Amino acid sequence: MALFPSDEWISLFRDLINGSKEYAEAGKTWEGDIAFVFEAEPDHGVPQDLVAWLDLRHGVCHGARMVEAQEGDRAEYAIRAPYSRWREVVLGDLDPVKGMMQGKLKVRGDLPNIVRHVRAANELVHLTTLVPTEFMGTR
Amino acid sequence: MRAVVYREIGRVEVAEVPDPLIEDPADAIVRVSLSAICGSDLHFFHGKAPLEPGETIGHEAVGIVEAVGPRVERFAPGDRVVVSFVIACGACWFCRNGQTQLCDDFRNLGAGIFGGSLGGAQAELVRVPAADFNLLRVPEGVEDERALFVGDILTTGVYAAGIAGIRAGDTVAVVGAGPVGFFAIQAARAVGAGQVLALDLEPGRLALAEGVGAVPIDVSQRNAQTAVDERTEGRGADVVIDAVGSAPAFERALDVARRGGTVVVVGMYTSETVQAQVGVWWTRAVTLLFAGICPVHAWWERAMEAVGAGQVDPTSIVSHRLRLEDAPLGYELFDTHRATKVLLRP
Repeated sequence: MALFPSDEWISLFRDLINGSKEYAEAGKTWEGDIAFVFEAEPDHGVPQDLVAWLDLRHGVCHGARMVEAQEGDRAEYAIRAPYSRWREVVLGDLDPVKGMMQGKLKVRGDLPNIVRHVRAANELVHLTTLVPTEFMGTR
Repeated sequence: MRAVVYREIGRVEVAEVPDPLIEDPADAIVRVSLSAICGSDLHFFHGKAPLEPGETIGHEAVGIVEAVGPRVERFAPGDRVVVSFVIACGACWFCRNGQTQLCDDFRNLGAGIFGGSLGGAQAELVRVPAADFNLLRVPEGVEDERALFVGDILTTGVYAAGIAGIRAGDTVAVVGAGPVGFFAIQAARAVGAGQVLALDLEPGRLALAEGVGAVPIDVSQRNAQTAVDERTEGRGADVVIDAVGSAPAFERALDVARRGGTVVVVGMYTSETVQAQVGVWWTRAVTLLFAGICPVHAWWERAMEAVGAGQVDPTSIVSHRLRLEDAPLGYELFDTHRATKVLLRP
Protein backbone atom coordinates (compact mmCIF):
# COMPACT_ATOMS: atom_id res chain seq x y z
CA MET A 1 0.00 0.00 0.00
CA ALA A 2 1.30 3.46 -0.89
CA LEU A 3 0.34 6.58 0.99
CA PHE A 4 -1.67 9.04 -1.11
CA PRO A 5 0.01 11.31 -2.10
CA SER A 6 3.69 10.42 -1.76
CA ASP A 7 6.64 9.86 -4.05
CA GLU A 8 5.96 6.13 -3.81
CA TRP A 9 2.33 6.57 -4.82
CA ILE A 10 3.18 8.97 -7.64
CA SER A 11 5.83 6.60 -8.96
CA LEU A 12 3.35 3.70 -9.09
CA PHE A 13 0.85 5.99 -10.79
CA ARG A 14 3.44 7.07 -13.40
CA ASP A 15 4.19 3.43 -14.23
CA LEU A 16 0.50 2.72 -14.71
CA ILE A 17 0.13 5.77 -16.99
CA ASN A 18 3.05 4.73 -19.14
CA GLY A 19 1.69 1.19 -19.38
CA SER A 20 -1.76 2.31 -20.47
CA LYS A 21 -2.57 2.10 -24.19
CA GLU A 22 -5.84 3.90 -23.48
CA TYR A 23 -4.05 6.88 -21.95
CA ALA A 24 -1.40 6.91 -24.72
CA GLU A 25 -4.21 7.32 -27.25
CA ALA A 26 -6.46 9.68 -25.28
CA GLY A 27 -3.59 11.90 -24.15
CA LYS A 28 -1.58 12.03 -27.38
CA THR A 29 -2.45 15.68 -28.05
CA TRP A 30 -2.02 16.80 -24.42
CA GLU A 31 0.95 19.03 -23.62
CA GLY A 32 1.62 20.55 -20.26
CA ASP A 33 2.77 19.75 -16.76
CA ILE A 34 0.19 19.67 -13.99
CA ALA A 35 0.46 20.41 -10.29
CA PHE A 36 -2.10 18.64 -8.13
CA VAL A 37 -2.56 20.59 -4.92
CA PHE A 38 -3.94 18.73 -1.91
CA GLU A 39 -5.16 21.40 0.48
CA ALA A 40 -4.52 20.93 4.17
CA GLU A 41 -7.19 19.46 6.40
CA PRO A 42 -5.58 19.31 9.85
CA ASP A 43 -8.61 17.62 11.34
CA HIS A 44 -8.33 14.84 8.72
CA GLY A 45 -4.63 14.15 9.24
CA VAL A 46 -3.35 16.50 6.54
CA PRO A 47 -1.56 19.28 8.42
CA GLN A 48 -0.29 21.24 5.39
CA ASP A 49 -0.81 21.62 1.67
CA LEU A 50 0.86 18.94 -0.45
CA VAL A 51 1.72 19.22 -4.13
CA ALA A 52 2.26 16.45 -6.65
CA TRP A 53 3.68 17.25 -10.08
CA LEU A 54 3.23 15.32 -13.31
CA ASP A 55 4.85 16.14 -16.65
CA LEU A 56 2.41 14.77 -19.22
CA ARG A 57 3.14 15.17 -22.91
CA HIS A 58 1.84 13.27 -25.95
CA GLY A 59 0.40 10.40 -23.97
CA VAL A 60 3.51 9.80 -21.87
CA CYS A 61 4.35 10.74 -18.30
CA HIS A 62 7.91 12.11 -18.46
CA GLY A 63 8.26 12.89 -14.77
CA ALA A 64 6.31 12.64 -11.55
CA ARG A 65 7.16 13.55 -7.99
CA MET A 66 6.08 15.45 -4.90
CA VAL A 67 7.27 19.08 -5.07
CA GLU A 68 7.35 22.24 -2.99
CA ALA A 69 4.52 24.72 -3.42
CA GLN A 70 6.68 27.21 -5.38
CA GLU A 71 7.60 24.57 -7.93
CA GLY A 72 3.95 23.68 -8.25
CA ASP A 73 3.18 27.34 -8.94
CA ARG A 74 5.36 27.16 -12.05
CA ALA A 75 3.39 24.31 -13.63
CA GLU A 76 1.33 25.16 -16.69
CA TYR A 77 -1.77 23.74 -15.04
CA ALA A 78 -2.71 23.43 -11.40
CA ILE A 79 -5.72 21.67 -9.97
CA ARG A 80 -6.42 22.18 -6.29
CA ALA A 81 -8.96 20.91 -3.81
CA PRO A 82 -9.19 19.87 -0.18
CA TYR A 83 -7.55 16.51 0.43
CA SER A 84 -10.87 14.78 1.08
CA ARG A 85 -12.13 15.90 -2.34
CA TRP A 86 -9.16 14.19 -3.99
CA ARG A 87 -9.97 11.10 -2.01
CA GLU A 88 -13.48 11.20 -3.53
CA VAL A 89 -11.86 11.41 -6.98
CA VAL A 90 -9.56 8.44 -6.36
CA LEU A 91 -12.42 6.41 -4.93
CA GLY A 92 -14.49 7.19 -8.04
CA ASP A 93 -17.09 9.18 -6.10
CA LEU A 94 -16.42 12.46 -7.90
CA ASP A 95 -16.12 12.90 -11.66
CA PRO A 96 -13.12 15.23 -11.98
CA VAL A 97 -14.30 17.17 -15.03
CA LYS A 98 -17.70 17.71 -13.45
CA GLY A 99 -15.89 18.68 -10.26
CA MET A 100 -13.89 21.28 -12.16
CA MET A 101 -16.98 22.77 -13.75
CA GLN A 102 -18.70 22.92 -10.38
CA GLY A 103 -15.74 24.54 -8.70
CA LYS A 104 -15.12 21.56 -6.43
CA LEU A 105 -11.73 21.18 -8.06
CA LYS A 106 -10.19 24.55 -8.88
CA VAL A 107 -8.20 24.84 -12.06
CA ARG A 108 -5.46 27.25 -13.05
CA GLY A 109 -4.71 27.00 -16.75
CA ASP A 110 -6.72 26.45 -19.89
CA LEU A 111 -9.89 24.76 -18.63
CA PRO A 112 -11.40 24.22 -22.12
CA ASN A 113 -8.25 22.32 -23.09
CA ILE A 114 -8.73 20.03 -20.11
CA VAL A 115 -12.37 19.53 -21.00
CA ARG A 116 -11.36 18.67 -24.57
CA HIS A 117 -9.18 15.93 -23.11
CA VAL A 118 -11.94 14.46 -20.96
CA ARG A 119 -11.13 10.90 -22.07
CA ALA A 120 -7.53 11.32 -20.98
CA ALA A 121 -8.66 12.77 -17.63
CA ASN A 122 -11.06 9.92 -17.07
CA GLU A 123 -8.36 7.38 -17.89
CA LEU A 124 -6.01 9.04 -15.40
CA VAL A 125 -8.70 8.78 -12.74
CA HIS A 126 -9.31 5.16 -13.65
CA LEU A 127 -5.58 4.47 -13.26
CA THR A 128 -5.53 6.02 -9.79
CA THR A 129 -7.99 3.38 -8.69
CA LEU A 130 -5.46 0.69 -9.64
CA VAL A 131 -2.77 2.03 -7.29
CA PRO A 132 -2.83 0.19 -3.96
CA THR A 133 -3.70 3.26 -1.89
CA GLU A 134 -3.67 4.17 1.74
CA PHE A 135 -5.20 7.54 2.60
CA MET A 136 -3.77 10.01 5.11
CA GLY A 137 -5.52 10.19 8.43
CA THR A 138 -6.52 6.53 8.28
CA ARG A 139 -3.37 5.01 9.73
CA MET B 1 -11.73 71.55 22.14
CA ARG B 2 -9.85 68.30 22.65
CA ALA B 3 -9.55 65.94 19.72
CA VAL B 4 -7.50 63.00 18.53
CA VAL B 5 -5.03 64.13 15.89
CA TYR B 6 -2.74 62.22 13.59
CA ARG B 7 0.88 63.02 14.37
CA GLU B 8 2.97 60.62 12.29
CA ILE B 9 2.83 57.04 11.05
CA GLY B 10 1.96 54.85 14.03
CA ARG B 11 1.27 57.79 16.37
CA VAL B 12 -1.82 59.76 17.30
CA GLU B 13 -2.20 62.15 20.22
CA VAL B 14 -4.92 64.16 21.91
CA ALA B 15 -4.49 67.88 21.32
CA GLU B 16 -6.25 71.20 21.61
CA VAL B 17 -7.76 72.22 18.25
CA PRO B 18 -10.20 75.01 17.24
CA ASP B 19 -13.89 74.31 17.83
CA PRO B 20 -15.76 73.54 14.61
CA LEU B 21 -18.17 76.24 13.39
CA ILE B 22 -21.28 76.24 11.26
CA GLU B 23 -19.80 76.77 7.79
CA ASP B 24 -22.86 76.04 5.69
CA PRO B 25 -26.54 76.70 6.47
CA ALA B 26 -27.20 72.93 6.37
CA ASP B 27 -24.51 72.11 8.96
CA ALA B 28 -24.98 70.94 12.52
CA ILE B 29 -22.47 70.84 15.33
CA VAL B 30 -22.72 67.72 17.48
CA ARG B 31 -21.26 67.43 20.98
CA VAL B 32 -19.85 63.90 20.95
CA SER B 33 -20.92 61.63 23.82
CA LEU B 34 -19.15 58.57 22.54
CA SER B 35 -16.93 57.71 19.61
CA ALA B 36 -14.97 54.63 18.57
CA ILE B 37 -11.85 53.53 16.76
CA CYS B 38 -12.67 51.81 13.49
CA GLY B 39 -10.56 49.46 11.39
CA SER B 40 -10.46 52.06 8.64
CA ASP B 41 -8.88 54.57 11.05
CA LEU B 42 -5.89 52.25 11.05
CA HIS B 43 -5.35 52.93 7.34
CA PHE B 44 -4.57 56.51 8.33
CA PHE B 45 -2.70 55.43 11.46
CA HIS B 46 -0.38 53.39 9.25
CA GLY B 47 -0.04 56.09 6.61
CA LYS B 48 -1.74 53.99 3.92
CA ALA B 49 -4.17 56.85 3.39
CA PRO B 50 -3.03 60.45 3.69
CA LEU B 51 -3.59 62.59 6.80
CA GLU B 52 -1.52 65.66 7.50
CA PRO B 53 0.08 65.90 10.96
CA GLY B 54 -2.40 67.68 13.23
CA GLU B 55 -5.50 66.66 11.26
CA THR B 56 -8.33 65.15 13.30
CA ILE B 57 -9.49 61.58 12.82
CA GLY B 58 -12.48 59.29 13.44
CA HIS B 59 -15.94 58.91 11.96
CA GLU B 60 -18.08 56.94 14.45
CA ALA B 61 -19.96 59.15 16.87
CA VAL B 62 -23.12 59.52 18.86
CA GLY B 63 -23.93 62.74 20.68
CA ILE B 64 -26.17 65.74 21.30
CA VAL B 65 -26.88 68.41 18.71
CA GLU B 66 -25.20 71.59 19.94
CA ALA B 67 -26.05 74.02 17.15
CA VAL B 68 -27.70 73.96 13.72
CA GLY B 69 -27.51 76.13 10.64
CA PRO B 70 -30.61 77.99 9.37
CA ARG B 71 -31.42 75.35 6.72
CA VAL B 72 -31.51 72.42 9.15
CA GLU B 73 -35.17 71.44 9.60
CA ARG B 74 -35.23 68.00 11.19
CA PHE B 75 -32.94 68.57 14.15
CA ALA B 76 -32.56 71.10 16.94
CA PRO B 77 -30.11 71.62 19.78
CA GLY B 78 -30.58 68.95 22.43
CA ASP B 79 -31.51 66.13 20.05
CA ARG B 80 -29.60 62.88 20.60
CA VAL B 81 -28.22 61.64 17.30
CA VAL B 82 -25.87 59.21 15.63
CA VAL B 83 -23.67 60.37 12.77
CA SER B 84 -23.33 58.59 9.43
CA PHE B 85 -19.76 57.69 8.51
CA VAL B 86 -20.71 58.40 4.88
CA ILE B 87 -21.30 62.12 4.54
CA ALA B 88 -23.57 62.47 1.51
CA CYS B 89 -25.26 65.47 -0.04
CA GLY B 90 -28.76 63.98 0.10
CA ALA B 91 -29.75 65.71 -3.12
CA CYS B 92 -27.98 64.07 -6.07
CA TRP B 93 -29.47 61.25 -8.16
CA PHE B 94 -27.59 58.57 -6.22
CA CYS B 95 -28.68 59.90 -2.84
CA ARG B 96 -32.27 60.16 -3.97
CA ASN B 97 -32.08 56.53 -5.09
CA GLY B 98 -30.63 55.15 -1.89
CA GLN B 99 -27.07 54.71 -3.12
CA THR B 100 -25.55 57.33 -0.87
CA GLN B 101 -22.13 55.70 -0.94
CA LEU B 102 -22.02 56.74 -4.60
CA CYS B 103 -22.98 60.35 -3.85
CA ASP B 104 -21.66 62.98 -6.27
CA ASP B 105 -20.20 64.76 -3.24
CA PHE B 106 -19.20 61.72 -1.18
CA ARG B 107 -17.21 62.62 1.92
CA ASN B 108 -16.05 61.03 5.20
CA LEU B 109 -15.44 62.51 8.60
CA GLY B 110 -11.85 62.47 9.79
CA ALA B 111 -10.36 61.20 6.57
CA GLY B 112 -8.27 64.22 5.58
CA ILE B 113 -8.21 65.27 1.96
CA PHE B 114 -9.39 61.78 1.02
CA GLY B 115 -12.71 62.47 2.78
CA GLY B 116 -13.21 66.08 1.82
CA SER B 117 -11.15 67.57 4.68
CA LEU B 118 -13.92 67.25 7.27
CA GLY B 119 -13.02 67.16 10.94
CA GLY B 120 -12.85 63.89 12.85
CA ALA B 121 -15.39 62.46 15.28
CA GLN B 122 -12.89 61.38 17.94
CA ALA B 123 -13.33 64.81 19.45
CA GLU B 124 -15.52 66.79 21.79
CA LEU B 125 -17.36 68.43 18.87
CA VAL B 126 -17.85 67.52 15.24
CA ARG B 127 -19.32 69.45 12.32
CA VAL B 128 -21.80 67.43 10.25
CA PRO B 129 -22.64 68.78 6.78
CA ALA B 130 -26.13 68.24 5.32
CA ALA B 131 -27.23 67.44 8.85
CA ASP B 132 -30.83 66.65 7.95
CA PHE B 133 -29.50 63.78 5.88
CA ASN B 134 -26.42 62.65 7.80
CA LEU B 135 -27.86 62.45 11.31
CA LEU B 136 -30.29 59.90 12.71
CA ARG B 137 -32.28 60.47 15.85
CA VAL B 138 -31.56 57.90 18.59
CA PRO B 139 -34.77 56.55 20.14
CA GLU B 140 -35.28 56.66 23.86
CA GLY B 141 -34.24 53.42 25.47
CA VAL B 142 -31.33 52.87 23.10
CA GLU B 143 -28.17 53.75 25.00
CA ASP B 144 -25.23 55.50 23.34
CA GLU B 145 -23.21 52.31 23.28
CA ARG B 146 -25.91 50.43 21.37
CA ALA B 147 -26.60 53.34 19.00
CA LEU B 148 -23.03 54.26 18.13
CA PHE B 149 -22.32 51.62 15.51
CA VAL B 150 -25.56 52.26 13.62
CA GLY B 151 -23.62 55.03 11.90
CA ASP B 152 -21.11 52.56 10.46
CA ILE B 153 -20.21 48.92 11.01
CA LEU B 154 -23.47 47.69 12.50
CA THR B 155 -25.47 49.00 9.59
CA THR B 156 -22.82 47.66 7.21
CA GLY B 157 -23.51 44.18 8.59
CA VAL B 158 -27.27 44.72 8.27
CA TYR B 159 -26.75 45.93 4.70
CA ALA B 160 -24.64 42.89 3.77
CA ALA B 161 -27.28 40.49 5.07
CA GLY B 162 -30.06 42.63 3.63
CA ILE B 163 -28.89 42.58 0.03
CA ALA B 164 -28.03 38.87 0.14
CA GLY B 165 -31.60 37.69 -0.42
CA ILE B 166 -31.49 35.34 2.56
CA ARG B 167 -34.52 33.04 2.72
CA ALA B 168 -35.90 31.37 5.81
CA GLY B 169 -33.75 28.38 6.71
CA ASP B 170 -30.81 29.32 4.48
CA THR B 171 -27.29 28.46 5.50
CA VAL B 172 -25.22 31.63 5.60
CA ALA B 173 -21.44 31.50 5.82
CA VAL B 174 -19.73 34.65 7.03
CA VAL B 175 -16.06 34.77 6.04
CA GLY B 176 -14.33 36.90 8.65
CA ALA B 177 -15.78 37.37 12.12
CA GLY B 178 -14.38 40.85 12.70
CA PRO B 179 -16.72 43.73 13.55
CA VAL B 180 -18.62 43.75 10.23
CA GLY B 181 -18.84 39.96 10.21
CA PHE B 182 -20.04 40.03 13.82
CA PHE B 183 -22.94 42.27 12.85
CA ALA B 184 -23.64 40.42 9.60
CA ILE B 185 -24.05 37.21 11.62
CA GLN B 186 -26.70 38.81 13.84
CA ALA B 187 -28.43 40.46 10.91
CA ALA B 188 -28.54 37.18 8.97
CA ARG B 189 -30.16 35.47 11.92
CA ALA B 190 -32.62 38.33 12.27
CA VAL B 191 -33.81 37.88 8.67
CA GLY B 192 -34.37 34.15 9.10
CA ALA B 193 -31.15 32.30 8.30
CA GLY B 194 -31.30 28.69 9.44
CA GLN B 195 -27.69 28.34 10.45
CA VAL B 196 -24.91 30.91 10.29
CA LEU B 197 -21.36 29.64 9.99
CA ALA B 198 -18.55 31.96 11.08
CA LEU B 199 -15.19 31.32 9.38
CA ASP B 200 -12.16 32.89 10.99
CA LEU B 201 -8.82 31.94 12.49
CA GLU B 202 -8.78 34.11 15.61
CA PRO B 203 -10.19 32.28 18.63
CA GLY B 204 -11.42 35.50 20.24
CA ARG B 205 -13.44 36.49 17.21
CA LEU B 206 -14.86 32.99 16.86
CA ALA B 207 -15.94 33.06 20.50
CA LEU B 208 -17.73 36.37 19.94
CA ALA B 209 -19.42 34.96 16.85
CA GLU B 210 -20.52 31.88 18.75
CA GLY B 211 -21.87 34.15 21.46
CA VAL B 212 -24.30 35.71 18.98
CA GLY B 213 -25.47 32.39 17.57
CA ALA B 214 -23.02 31.42 14.85
CA VAL B 215 -21.35 28.04 14.43
CA PRO B 216 -17.62 28.80 14.71
CA ILE B 217 -15.28 27.27 12.15
CA ASP B 218 -11.59 27.74 12.83
CA VAL B 219 -10.04 27.79 9.36
CA SER B 220 -6.56 27.36 10.81
CA GLN B 221 -7.67 23.90 11.90
CA ARG B 222 -10.28 22.99 9.33
CA ASN B 223 -10.53 23.26 5.57
CA ALA B 224 -13.28 25.82 5.03
CA GLN B 225 -14.84 24.10 2.04
CA THR B 226 -14.96 20.71 3.71
CA ALA B 227 -16.32 22.14 6.95
CA VAL B 228 -19.13 24.01 5.19
CA ASP B 229 -19.91 21.01 3.01
CA GLU B 230 -20.30 18.84 6.08
CA ARG B 231 -22.99 21.17 7.39
CA THR B 232 -24.85 21.48 4.09
CA GLU B 233 -25.10 17.90 2.85
CA GLY B 234 -22.18 18.56 0.53
CA ARG B 235 -23.79 21.51 -1.28
CA GLY B 236 -22.10 24.54 0.20
CA ALA B 237 -23.68 27.63 1.74
CA ASP B 238 -26.74 29.28 0.20
CA VAL B 239 -25.34 32.71 0.97
CA VAL B 240 -21.77 33.73 1.72
CA ILE B 241 -20.74 37.11 3.07
CA ASP B 242 -17.10 38.09 2.58
CA ALA B 243 -16.45 40.46 5.47
CA VAL B 244 -12.67 40.49 5.14
CA GLY B 245 -11.45 42.16 1.97
CA SER B 246 -8.47 40.08 0.86
CA ALA B 247 -7.87 37.90 -2.18
CA PRO B 248 -7.72 34.65 -0.15
CA ALA B 249 -10.96 35.57 1.61
CA PHE B 250 -12.66 36.31 -1.70
CA GLU B 251 -11.59 32.95 -3.08
CA ARG B 252 -12.65 31.22 0.11
CA ALA B 253 -16.07 32.86 -0.11
CA LEU B 254 -16.54 31.50 -3.62
CA ASP B 255 -15.25 28.08 -2.57
CA VAL B 256 -17.83 27.64 0.16
CA ALA B 257 -20.87 28.86 -1.81
CA ARG B 258 -23.18 26.26 -3.28
CA ARG B 259 -24.02 26.13 -6.97
CA GLY B 260 -26.65 28.83 -7.54
CA GLY B 261 -25.65 30.52 -4.29
CA THR B 262 -25.01 34.18 -3.58
CA VAL B 263 -21.73 35.76 -2.52
CA VAL B 264 -21.90 39.26 -1.04
CA VAL B 265 -18.56 41.05 -0.97
CA VAL B 266 -18.73 43.66 1.76
CA GLY B 267 -15.07 43.51 2.87
CA MET B 268 -13.10 46.44 1.51
CA TYR B 269 -10.91 45.93 -1.55
CA THR B 270 -8.42 48.26 -3.17
CA SER B 271 -5.83 46.83 -5.59
CA GLU B 272 -6.10 43.09 -4.96
CA THR B 273 -6.18 40.73 -7.93
CA VAL B 274 -7.46 37.18 -8.24
CA GLN B 275 -7.11 34.66 -11.00
CA ALA B 276 -10.43 33.06 -11.79
CA GLN B 277 -12.12 30.78 -14.28
CA VAL B 278 -15.09 33.02 -15.06
CA GLY B 279 -16.70 30.12 -16.91
CA VAL B 280 -16.76 28.14 -13.68
CA TRP B 281 -18.59 30.95 -11.92
CA TRP B 282 -20.97 31.10 -14.86
CA THR B 283 -21.55 27.36 -14.86
CA ARG B 284 -22.11 27.43 -11.11
CA ALA B 285 -24.64 30.27 -11.62
CA VAL B 286 -23.16 32.12 -8.68
CA THR B 287 -24.59 35.53 -7.91
CA LEU B 288 -21.70 37.81 -7.02
CA LEU B 289 -22.66 41.07 -5.35
CA PHE B 290 -20.05 43.74 -4.74
CA ALA B 291 -21.57 45.69 -1.90
CA GLY B 292 -19.14 48.60 -1.96
CA ILE B 293 -19.24 51.01 0.94
CA CYS B 294 -22.47 50.76 2.91
CA PRO B 295 -25.12 53.32 1.92
CA VAL B 296 -25.82 53.92 5.59
CA HIS B 297 -28.73 56.30 5.07
CA ALA B 298 -30.77 53.69 3.20
CA TRP B 299 -30.34 51.10 5.92
CA TRP B 300 -29.82 52.77 9.26
CA GLU B 301 -33.45 53.14 10.25
CA ARG B 302 -34.06 49.39 9.99
CA ALA B 303 -30.70 48.82 11.70
CA MET B 304 -31.75 51.04 14.59
CA GLU B 305 -35.05 49.14 14.79
CA ALA B 306 -33.14 45.86 15.00
CA VAL B 307 -31.01 47.30 17.79
CA GLY B 308 -34.06 48.58 19.63
CA ALA B 309 -35.70 45.17 19.30
CA GLY B 310 -32.58 43.43 20.60
CA GLN B 311 -32.09 41.51 17.34
CA VAL B 312 -28.66 43.06 16.89
CA ASP B 313 -26.62 43.76 19.99
CA PRO B 314 -23.20 45.39 19.72
CA THR B 315 -22.22 45.32 23.35
CA SER B 316 -20.24 42.08 23.42
CA ILE B 317 -17.80 43.29 20.76
CA VAL B 318 -16.73 46.28 22.87
CA SER B 319 -13.59 45.24 24.70
CA HIS B 320 -12.34 48.63 25.91
CA ARG B 321 -14.06 51.78 27.15
CA LEU B 322 -11.52 54.58 27.43
CA ARG B 323 -11.44 58.32 27.97
CA LEU B 324 -10.75 60.38 24.86
CA GLU B 325 -7.45 61.37 26.46
CA ASP B 326 -6.43 57.69 26.35
CA ALA B 327 -6.92 57.40 22.60
CA PRO B 328 -3.23 56.65 21.89
CA LEU B 329 -3.52 53.59 24.12
CA GLY B 330 -6.75 52.64 22.36
CA TYR B 331 -5.05 52.77 18.97
CA GLU B 332 -2.20 50.63 20.26
CA LEU B 333 -4.58 48.03 21.70
CA PHE B 334 -6.71 47.94 18.56
CA ASP B 335 -3.77 47.88 16.19
CA THR B 336 -2.15 44.96 17.99
CA HIS B 337 -5.41 42.94 18.09
CA ARG B 338 -5.59 43.15 21.87
CA ALA B 339 -8.92 44.96 21.55
CA THR B 340 -11.94 43.98 19.48
CA LYS B 341 -13.50 47.43 19.65
CA VAL B 342 -12.42 50.53 21.55
CA LEU B 343 -14.82 53.26 22.68
CA LEU B 344 -13.66 56.78 23.47
CA ARG B 345 -15.66 59.03 25.77
CA PRO B 346 -14.77 62.76 25.66
